[in-house]
Amino acid sequence: MEKVRYFVSYSHWVSLLSDWIQNEIVWAPISTSGMLHYKPVSPENISSIIYEGARAIEPLKWFLFPPIEKMNGRNQRKGKSWIVLAVKACDLQALRVLDSAFGGVFADPHYWFHREDTLLVATDCTSPLPTCFCTEVGGNPFPSQLFDLALSEIPNGFLVEIGTEKGEKKLSPFRAFLETPSREALQQVEGNRKNVMKILRRQNRKFKIHENLGEILYSQWNVSLWHEGSLHCVECGMCNHACPTCHCYFLDEVTREKYIKLRGWDACMYQGYAVMAGGTTPRPYLHQRFRNRYLCKFKYLKENYGVLGCTGCGRCIEGCQGKIEMRKLLSEFSELLSVHQKVALEKI
Amino acid sequence: MDPKNPFVTQEAIIQKIIPETPKIKTLIVKPKRPIPFQPGQFMELSLPGIGEAPFAPSSSSDHPDILEFTVQNVGYMTSFLHQMKARDKVRIRGPYGNGFPISQLYNKTVLLVVGGVGFPPARALLYQLLKEKKKIPRLILCYGARTPEDIVYKYQLTYFKKNLVLYLTVDDPGKTAWKGHTGVVTCLLDKIEIFPENTMAVVIGPPVMMKYTVLKLLEKGFRPDHIILSMERKMYCGIGQCRHCMIGPYFVCKDGPVFFYAALQNLPDVWEA
Repeated sequence: MEKVRYFVSYSHWVSLLSDWIQNEIVWAPISTSGMLHYKPVSPENISSIIYEGARAIEPLKWFLFPPIEKMNGRNQRKGKSWIVLAVKACDLQALRVLDSAFGGVFADPHYWFHREDTLLVATDCTSPLPTCFCTEVGGNPFPSQLFDLALSEIPNGFLVEIGTEKGEKKLSPFRAFLETPSREALQQVEGNRKNVMKILRRQNRKFKIHENLGEILYSQWNVSLWHEGSLHCVECGMCNHACPTCHCYFLDEVTREKYIKLRGWDACMYQGYAVMAGGTTPRPYLHQRFRNRYLCKFKYLKENYGVLGCTGCGRCIEGCQGKIEMRKLLSEFSELLSVHQKVALEKI
Repeated sequence: MDPKNPFVTQEAIIQKIIPETPKIKTLIVKPKRPIPFQPGQFMELSLPGIGEAPFAPSSSSDHPDILEFTVQNVGYMTSFLHQMKARDKVRIRGPYGNGFPISQLYNKTVLLVVGGVGFPPARALLYQLLKEKKKIPRLILCYGARTPEDIVYKYQLTYFKKNLVLYLTVDDPGKTAWKGHTGVVTCLLDKIEIFPENTMAVVIGPPVMMKYTVLKLLEKGFRPDHIILSMERKMYCGIGQCRHCMIGPYFVCKDGPVFFYAALQNLPDVWEA
């Protein structure tokens, strides 16, 4: 099906949004000291929303798989539905991991409640951060899947693409706002997208990230580069919490009087993460936990759900306390392969 | 509570507690509704406000209405389980995991190598194998405990001796009048005649014991696909989501806890380092 796009003028969009914030909680990135953070939209900040730009600090999982959540009883979020604005393609790609992880035989009702109750409005990424590398892991800087609505900013307004029935329904009261876009507008959006891709390719040219990363890392799981690569890691767990696809959680119970089960984000970089009864752990050393995280992202998640666990959002690079540059390390692993191994991998 | 919620637990009442050793007790519990299970599968036991932990039933899978859990006091949750008395309540959900591939043991010698508190899931398997005795030509159990006092199910040893070939060993007999073998359980493997090509080895125990038993079995000529392991990992969810139990790409809670060594042999961090 050919995708249909409409033009909505900026003033129409704002009046539509003003209507949405009456009945729903709308989250949008707003610049705070130069950083894009998600904030609830109010009539006061409606004009400060940053639609395009780069991805926000908070990954999308924040809204669907909250850091702490009650697992029994009434869902805490029942009431107003949520709308998340300006979701970027890297975060949408991460949904393919989360949807699979929380789907299947034991589908998680909490995740799916949030997922179905949240309208995702995606936008193009127009000024990627220096740490962004979605194009190197099979992604694009513009939305192409899993959004309900997608916006592309052009002078005086937006081009709107409808992704789902949910998105169409949400837009239907405002049918009168939708206009046929001009050819120039369409061309402009395509031109912008190509431009951003060029920027991304250029800034990642110095890294040699091989297509078959999972096998490259796995075939070298015993090399000393894992020690060297993890040398500056301080085990803060930031890379886990900021990652849009990381979804490890712990369960805990609060009171003895009443049965309340809580779920919270966990991080595989923590030493106590895999400690069993009696105190033993299969990964007592930092380089093992570090390696496990990389193998999980590039090999295990792909085997489990058919999708890479890395979407190239660069959050783990941007926030790393030890300044660990994942792209550089990945290139080093690719370079470490002997010619012989490279030939063998091409055949896989 | 939402019936579709996979974290829903049901109540179970403790019927009786059997002290096995100073640190191990067997809890006999009656869940509100019977829980049919396969030997080797596990369930999550929880105490509100205390925590939740995975345990494999040690009782026969013929009795899904009365379950036995043999618990060693090693941490926070298990210390509370050890304080429980008859008629106290626990909460339970499951069963989870794959269980032992019993049909693949037919017409083979089955060699069970069990260490310490690895006996509970092994006992559930033994009950099943003894029930299908005609299909199992030879059944050998090698069991190692730290001291004679640490042997579990002492009251059943005569029954097991009567029905299978039982080898017992203790690491340290101390000052007791122990007359049996001494040394770690892998030493027993040198004392028995085994034909690896027609034998399936089932190994259950603490990680370090399993690691050295596997090495010994490989040395004896066992193929990796003739070694069956019941793996232990940290688990929270039990349903293949929380990823705490991963061994490489495998979920111990969902793809395991029973694995053929062949599946794990090339993966990093299988045993504790």
